[in-house]
Formats: sequence, structure tokens, C-alpha cells
Amino acid sequence: MPGEEKAPVRLSLPLDYQQQIFHELREDDKLLILARGLGLLRIVTNLLHSYDAAGNNLIFVIGADDRENTWMGESLAEKAEVSRMTGKCRGLTKVDSDNVTAVARQKMYANTGLFSVTSRILIVDFLSGMVDVSKITGVIVLHAENAKATSTEAFILRKYRQENKNGFLKAFSDVPEAFTSGFAPLSTMLRNLFLRQVALYPRFQTDVASSLDGKMKRAEVIELNVDMTESMRVIQGAVMECTEASISELKKLNSGLEMEEWNMDNALQRNFNQIMRRQLGPIMHRVTPKSKQILNDLGVLHDILQYIMRYDAVSFQRYLDTVLVNAQADEGKRKENPSPWLLMDAADTLFETAKRRVYTGKIPDNKDGPNGQTPARSDTLRPVLEELPKWDLLSQILTEIEQDVYFNPVPRDDSSGAILIMCADVSTCAQIREYLETMHIMPDEDEEDENVEDPGSSTSAAFMMRRKLRAYIHWKRNFTRVTASLEAETQQPTNGQANDRGAQASRGRAPPNKRRRVRGASAAASGPNRTDYGVRTAGDRDAHMNSLLQKLEITELEADQKEEVVVDPLEKMEDYYELFNMKDLLVIHPYDGDMDEHVLEEVKPRYIIMMEPDAAFVRRIEVYRSSHTDRNVRVYFMSYGQSVEEQRYLAAVEREKHAFTKLIKERGKMTITLDVDNNNPEETFLRTINTRIAGGGRLAATAQQPRIVADMREFRSPLTGLLHARNMDVVPAQLTVGDYILTPNICIERKSIPDLIGSFKSGRLYNQVETMLEHYKSPMLLIEFGDTKNFTLEPFADLSHSAAAAAMSSPDLQSKIVILTLHFPRLRIVWSSSPYQTAEIFDELKKQQEEPDPFRAVEIGLEEGEDAETGRVFNQDPMDMLRIIPGVTEKNIVRISLSFNSIQELANTGEDEICDLIGREAGRQIFRFFNRDVIDD
Amino acid sequence: QDLRARTGPSNIIVSTRQKGNPILKEIKNSAWEYGDIDPDYILGVTTCALFLSLKYHRLHPEYIYGRIRALQGRWNLRVLLVMVDITAHEESLKELSKTSLINNVTIMLCWSTAEAGRYLELYKVYENAPATAIKAPPSKSHGDRLIEFITTPRSVNKTDALGLVSNFGSVRTAVNARPEEILLIAGWGQTKVKQWNAAVSEPFRTRQ
Repeated sequence: MPGEEKAPVRLSLPLDYQQQIFHELREDDKLLILARGLGLLRIVTNLLHSYDAAGNNLIFVIGADDRENTWMGESLAEKAEVSRMTGKCRGLTKVDSDNVTAVARQKMYANTGLFSVTSRILIVDFLSGMVDVSKITGVIVLHAENAKATSTEAFILRKYRQENKNGFLKAFSDVPEAFTSGFAPLSTMLRNLFLRQVALYPRFQTDVASSLDGKMKRAEVIELNVDMTESMRVIQGAVMECTEASISELKKLNSGLEMEEWNMDNALQRNFNQIMRRQLGPIMHRVTPKSKQILNDLGVLHDILQYIMRYDAVSFQRYLDTVLVNAQADEGKRKENPSPWLLMDAADTLFETAKRRVYTGKIPDNKDGPNGQTPARSDTLRPVLEELPKWDLLSQILTEIEQDVYFNPVPRDDSSGAILIMCADVSTCAQIREYLETMHIMPDEDEEDENVEDPGSSTSAAFMMRRKLRAYIHWKRNFTRVTASLEAETQQPTNGQANDRGAQASRGRAPPNKRRRVRGASAAASGPNRTDYGVRTAGDRDAHMNSLLQKLEITELEADQKEEVVVDPLEKMEDYYELFNMKDLLVIHPYDGDMDEHVLEEVKPRYIIMMEPDAAFVRRIEVYRSSHTDRNVRVYFMSYGQSVEEQRYLAAVEREKHAFTKLIKERGKMTITLDVDNNNPEETFLRTINTRIAGGGRLAATAQQPRIVADMREFRSPLTGLLHARNMDVVPAQLTVGDYILTPNICIERKSIPDLIGSFKSGRLYNQVETMLEHYKSPMLLIEFGDTKNFTLEPFADLSHSAAAAAMSSPDLQSKIVILTLHFPRLRIVWSSSPYQTAEIFDELKKQQEEPDPFRAVEIGLEEGEDAETGRVFNQDPMDMLRIIPGVTEKNIVRISLSFNSIQELANTGEDEICDLIGREAGRQIFRFFNRDVIDD
Repeated sequence: QDLRARTGPSNIIVSTRQKGNPILKEIKNSAWEYGDIDPDYILGVTTCALFLSLKYHRLHPEYIYGRIRALQGRWNLRVLLVMVDITAHEESLKELSKTSLINNVTIMLCWSTAEAGRYLELYKVYENAPATAIKAPPSKSHGDRLIEFITTPRSVNKTDALGLVSNFGSVRTAVNARPEEILLIAGWGQTKVKQWNAAVSEPFRTRQ
């Protein structure tokens, strides 16, 4: 093969287009945008291997996530083994904050090799000189779509290109959609990446097409369109109706925003909620609580829409229960109206239909005893247990495969004969596994049961569903108790509404004389509403459930079956397990991006059943099939007709195609512009220096490059990159006090609006300001807005409620800032409309001032005995969780975090031990928090 | 609360210079009266405020410095209430940030007359208020803390939290649960489970 002699390395790129891409990228620095499913990681690893085998290269991979690191690491090791070059190849080393200390990193880098580093750490290492940037052989960027102008990745690349002109730089992405929004998105992105060329490989590119469609036999694909059941259709329709209503409500509440993308088509997309949140993100502080609520609702509705097709009827009902109770708890707490969609008729239809899929029956009116304990007539409720249509189809397919195998017993090819079932997620896997295990067991009673649709079918999920329903009823009892105990508590602290709330809390225990059934026309009146959907939640009384449970009495046959295995600890593995013959194997696996490629390679299936459509996986099969001409594959492709699932699949394919078409057009037009303004980042670099000197006053200050000490954690924010772009020397350090140190006197705490709200709420800001005041002469709080367009704290709603009314009870953000300034008159507030503006302001504040001393900055605020190295670098989430636990205070938190390793360890510690550490009262509170059982008390 | 502890004007004192300023109409919930004073507003014993519209500042950049000088460093908290009424505010705000550092004034931004009026009211209302509202939160019920605790990892929402608690009963069991067990709860996908597990098993302190 061409190029092979140049790189004496064994490549594993069986297809022509893969070879071509490999060589194209080996030659030039390019951005590769590849269609999903065409094996991006395979190309990356081959590329890495070719450098790895050459030895003595220092290469950094940035932007890779955990799974990708594992993937690349494994296949690099494998390749090294195959090409018998283990001596030279080092494989990939993953570097993140948890596993390697700074000193160790420096040593590792000095020894060269391949490193996949978290961006935040790499930029710190670059800036603090732990790696000699000019000695780097090359940088590889994965997920190039994330390299926005202000991203850490772009910062890394700028630093890299400033000090290293010869190293290679290659970027990869398989999300073409990300390159199509905004003005000239592709060329902007290329500029951020410091690249000039782009290689586009959509599925319809000629080389790709000829590799996959060409001479060889294609995979045998059988498409199966299943109809949803009537009730599923009804539920789907109802959810769509609710979604649509919620969207239009949101639009109404937030007029004046760009809402082009807020439509039903997009609402079906997987990442719709992310899109909305990203759009609303910078203005979240101005959005009314109602809008926020609806935004949450949309997320929930989106989930429901997916679960209706994946979950079995009982699990679905169980999920709806949690959703409802949650909405109710919110309502109780905020004294606000419930989510608008819950008031719609469609919501009623949704909940009613969902319940009828599980059980049904005539429910007696309020004639039974005062406490609802009178034994209900035995025919009140009976299980329905609707099955998912795909299950039956699956069993039919398996029968067909069995016959096929029977008639062609010897596999004629290299495939293993195994059956691979692909489904959406892990819980679906579990569900399908359970179904397959139990589908031949027939609970024999209930001959008149209507749900055994056609008498001919020999399989049924009845056993599984009955088991699930039994579990559900038990769970439901506990659940009512849990919610009651949670709710009962919330009413105590707010004394004002105690009466009103007391009535609500008792709802869980189903008071007598409650009207049941659908409320119908009363949708507008708020009083009846509340009670009514209380009924929907708390649902059926114990007595009814008991009767239902009796119906589900475990039959002999059922009792014979083994318990459902949730987690197999794999004890004494050797005694019980042996290797299966591959051809007897039935593998169930969730879709998992690029990892699926490995699954295919390892299982070598003869049959593949796709429970849900997935465009990328279809391509993976194509690639797999074309790569192995000697393996036959038959694919069964299942989807619900007329469903959201189908629509989503088609839309995704369409959008990708559209994105590539747009990219190809832009590439055609942009070549010249790029050559002009992108060739030398240093030019802009020099320009900045000159302007600065011109404005400077004292020579001493300007002769030196201006310096800013920034906290390590701040390297996640765009500001550090922008400061560097303004030619400031950004020194990373572990700061205990403040985020940025501009001069020996000026210490700045940076808060974005969400941070500000959060740290006011937790009380953290108060402490931070206190310590800043203790150690610095001019402490400043920087309030940074997302972008210039949303530079205001004013809410969309008018400020009609009076200050006095709002005053003491629940102060809003403005009030809190006022209180803060009243308590700390020495604190200055810097308002900045965007990170760009902040960089300008920092520049201004620093003018004619002394430069800060990084070593001094690190020492400030450390307690005695603490040295900077082991310092106070906390993991955010666990620390935040710790703060919430009752008994934990700002004083003892240090002690706790030093004595215990993790939340888990703390949770498993005995009461006495905690008490010994931080005192009786606090210790008991902590212990009780972890060990209190909400079900039993 | 003890409002009489310190003696000071119970009303907002407004300088006669401010006559005709539309923000006066927006002070609705606190009483105010004119007085012959150096600052524009007196909001408490040691608190005063100057009002500045950016539109005006652009035309008369010297004005505000004269006013600040006139205060002669007498007030403990000197608020500079700046109304952002122009779109090209960057330059002015940059300059004012520097000013606030040199001249010891605290800048507060507002975007409308209504908001400006509200800030003045707020300063008066909170004049002697304790800092409890911005200190560590008051004690909450077990249920609230429970939900808050579980929803700390970014992708976990309240519905998930409820599902988790109702499935495992106590926090300890939930914390110790294996990922496979949590995955079976409706709504808990792989991302959530991963983040939750990381949060409870990660060490509090990392070594760099």
C-alpha cells in the first residue's frame, strides 16, 4: 500500500476511504469532519500508532472523554503487540487531576510519549512551564466542534502555535451539525483551531460510498415496522399536545427572545432541552420562575416521550408516579400554580391511559367505610398489563433465526453465529433479557384474560409483567409513605400556611369522601384541581391494591422460577461459569457510540437485531460488513411506525446530510479568506504589545510583561484565555483566597450570574468576601454576565411587587447584593458585560500598579501547617454535598474532608466515630442524615 | 428588629439637586424628603448615594469626579448608582470601575428608573438588617436537604432524587448502591449514574 514503506507500521484500516483519510491527515494539518459511525476513532488510533511506533515523540491528545481514552488506549496497546514493536511503543497515558501530581507530570512529559490530558490541566502545565512547548511533536484535538473562540482548547492551541511553529496539529469531529450555525461557522472554527484546511467525509462522499456500497455483498437488512398499541398512540399524542402547549406558553412568557428553534420538530430531538438551556443560559437570572418551571416540564415531557416506547407499562406508570409527586411537592412548597401541562385535558388522558395499561376495573364509589378499609369487592381491580409490541416481534424473529440456523447448521463463514440485540439503554437491556428468560412461562389462571392477544403466539410477557406489577404495588406503598413523610416535614417550618398545607399532606393517606375519576370540565377552577390530581398520585387505596395483589397471587409455576438477578457479584466464578460457545450466544447491548465498533468486532454476530433505529449504528454495520467480506450478517431493523422514534431517526439523518451540504458549500467559498488572515497569530500578538506600551506610564511597569495570578480552577472559564490573548502573563496557582490577583493589593472574586445566585444561596460568598477583606487592601467582586446582549439584572416581568413586601421574607438577587455592600462597605463591585469586557477592565485596573507576587498569593489564607502542594484543592460536587448535610459547618468541614476520604466513607462510618471527631450534636445529625429510613419512619 | 437602636433619619433624604429626576417617582414604599445635602441621597447614618446616568456622564465626564470629591471621604458606604441608559457602555463602565477603586465608591448598576428607585428603597429597608439572608442558609427539613443533597451532581433532577430515595430508603443505602442497581430506576440513565457515583466516591481533596 502507498505510504506503507514510509511508516513501517501495521495499520488496521481495511477500507479504501479509511486509508485515504489516514494519508491525507498524515501529510497535512487538517480538520476532519466525518459522518457518524464511519469509524473516527479507528482513524485517530491508527494515526497515533504511526507516531507511537516512530518513538520519541511528545504528542498531546485533547478533548477526549473517558470512553474514548479507554478505546484508544486499548487499541494502541493491541496494535503495538501486533506490529511487534512493544519496545518502542509507549501507548497512551491518560492524565487527569486525580491520578498524577504536578511533579510526576513534569517527569512524564520529559520522557515523551502519547498523553491524553484534560484541557484545564494541560493549559496550566503549558503556562507554568512544566512542559517545553517548543519540543512538542504534535497536538491532536478530538471533538473539535467544542473549540469555540473562548474555549480552553483554543487557548491551548494559541499557546502551542505561539511557541511552536513546526509541530503538527490535527483536529477531528463527527458532529457536522455543530459547524453550521452562526456566521461563516466553518472558517471561524478553523481560525480557532489554527488550521487552514478541512477534510469532509459524509456518507455520500464518493470514496466512502464506493467502499461501502461497492463490489462486495451488502448486509442483508430486514426492516420491520411495528404498530404501537392504541394506548401508546394515545399517550404519545397527549404528550405531544402537552409539549406543544408548554412551548407556546414559554414563548408567550418570554417574548422578545429569538425563538425560531423552539418548535415541535426540534422538541423531538434528543438534545432539545440542552438547546433551550444554552439559549436561555445567559439570561436565566431574568427568567421568571414560571418559565423555569416550564423549561423543566419540557425536559420531563421529553423523557416521557422516550420512555413510552422503551419502558414496559408498569415501569412507565412508576415513572409517572414520581413525576406527579414531584410536581405536587413543588406546588406545595412554592405556593404556586402547578405546571401548566398538568392542568390540560391531555395530561388527564395521559395518566388515565397509562394506568389503564397496568390495571383497570370498576372502582366503587365512596360507599366503603370511613377509612377506606372496607374490603373491596374482589372484582374491583384487575391487572391488564399491556405488553410492548416489539417483544412479540422479537420472539418471532428469534424463532425465525432458530429455524434458519436449523436449516443451515454449519456457519459458512467467519462469523461466530451469535445473535446481537442492540437497544437504547441499559435498563432496556435488562428488560429484554428478563423478557427472553421468562417468555415461555405462562401463568395459567385467568383464561379470560384479554391481553393474550392472539392464541397462536406461544410467548408472552405475562410472567414478567406480573412480577413487575407485584414489585410496583409494594414499591407504591413505600412510596406513598416516603412522600408523606417528606411532605409532612416541609409544612412544619412555614407556619403561616400550616392549615392549608395540613390538608394537602393528609391527601397521601386518601381521606374518605374523595371524588375519584377524571375531573373533566373543572380544569379552570384551581381548588378542585389540586384535590383531583392528588387522587391521581396517591391513587388507589390500599384496599384496592390488596385486591389487585390477591389477583397476582404467585402461582406454583411462578414460584419455581429463580429470583430476578439485578447484580451478579460473580463470586466463585470459576466454579460456576465456563466459556460459552459463541454460536449459542445471545448478546444484548445498549448503543454506545464508537464503542459499538468493538462490540461488533468481538461478537462477530451472524444476526443483529436493532430494537431501535440508530443511524450511526447502521453505518457501523456497513463498515463492519465491508471490512469483513467473509462474514455474513443479517440485520433486523425495528421501529414503531408513525412514532416519535421513527420521526427522530429520519430527522437526524436529514439534518446530518443538510449540514454536510452546507459545509461543502462553505468550503468552496472560503479558501481565499482564510489564507489572508489566518497565517500568523504572532502578528496580532505583537500588535497588542505595541498598543500597551503606548498607553503605559511608568516604565518599570511596562518593561515587564503584565502579570496576573489566577486560580487553577479558573482555567475552565474563558477569561484566562482572553487575558492571555491580551498579552498578559497568566500564572496558574492554587489560591485559597480569591480567583485573580491583579496587584499586591487587588484581589478579585469572579462570579458569573448563576455562580452568584448559587453562592449567595449557600452562604459561600459571604465567607469568601470576609477572607478577602482580611488579607487584601482592595477586594473586589466581579459580576460577569454572559454576553453584552443580556447585560441586565432586570427581570422580564415588571418589578411590581414592592420592596417592603419582598424585604424580609425572600430577598431577590438585587436585595442580596444590597445587603452584601451594606455589610462590606470596603468591597468594590466590578460589573462586566462579558469576559471580553472583563479582560479590558483588568488591564485598566492594573495600569501603573505593581505586579503581584505568585508565591505570596499562594501563601495567603493557608492555615498553619498546610503547604501549598497538598493545599486545598477540593472536588466541587462532594464538597457541595457535604455542605448540605445538617451538622456540617464551615468550621468542621475542613476537619471532615481531611478525616474522611469520600461521601461514601462518611456514610458508612459509625455514629461514635463521627461524634468523637466533631462533637456530639453535629455528629449525631450527620449520622442521622445518612441512616434515617424514609420508608420506615 | 431594633430600628431605633441607631439614631438617623427615618426617611430617605433627597438632595434638592435631584428635583425632577424621574427615579423619585419610583420611590413608592419608603418616605422621602428634600434636604440640603452633599450627596444625592442619604440612605442611612453612614450610607449615601450619588446618581449617575451614563448618558449624562458621556456628555460631562468631569461632573461625577467633582461630586465624589465633594463628599470628602465622609461616608462609610458611598454608593454610586449608575443607570445604564446607553448601548455603548463598555468604555464608561471600564473607567468608572477604575474610579471606584481609587475613590472608594461602590458601584451599583441599574437599567431603568424603576430599578433605580427600588435600589434606593432597598438600601433604606435593609439599613440595619442582619446578614442572615446571605450567610449560610437556615436549617431545613430532612426532606429538603435530602433532595438538595442528591441533586447536587449536575444532571440529576428532583424526579430522579425522589426515585432514588423511594427505592433505597436511606441515604446510606443510596450512597452504597451499585451502579447497576441504580440504572434500573426509571429515569436514571448512564450519565446520571456515573455522575452520582463519582460524586459520592470521589475524594474530597485532590492532589495536584
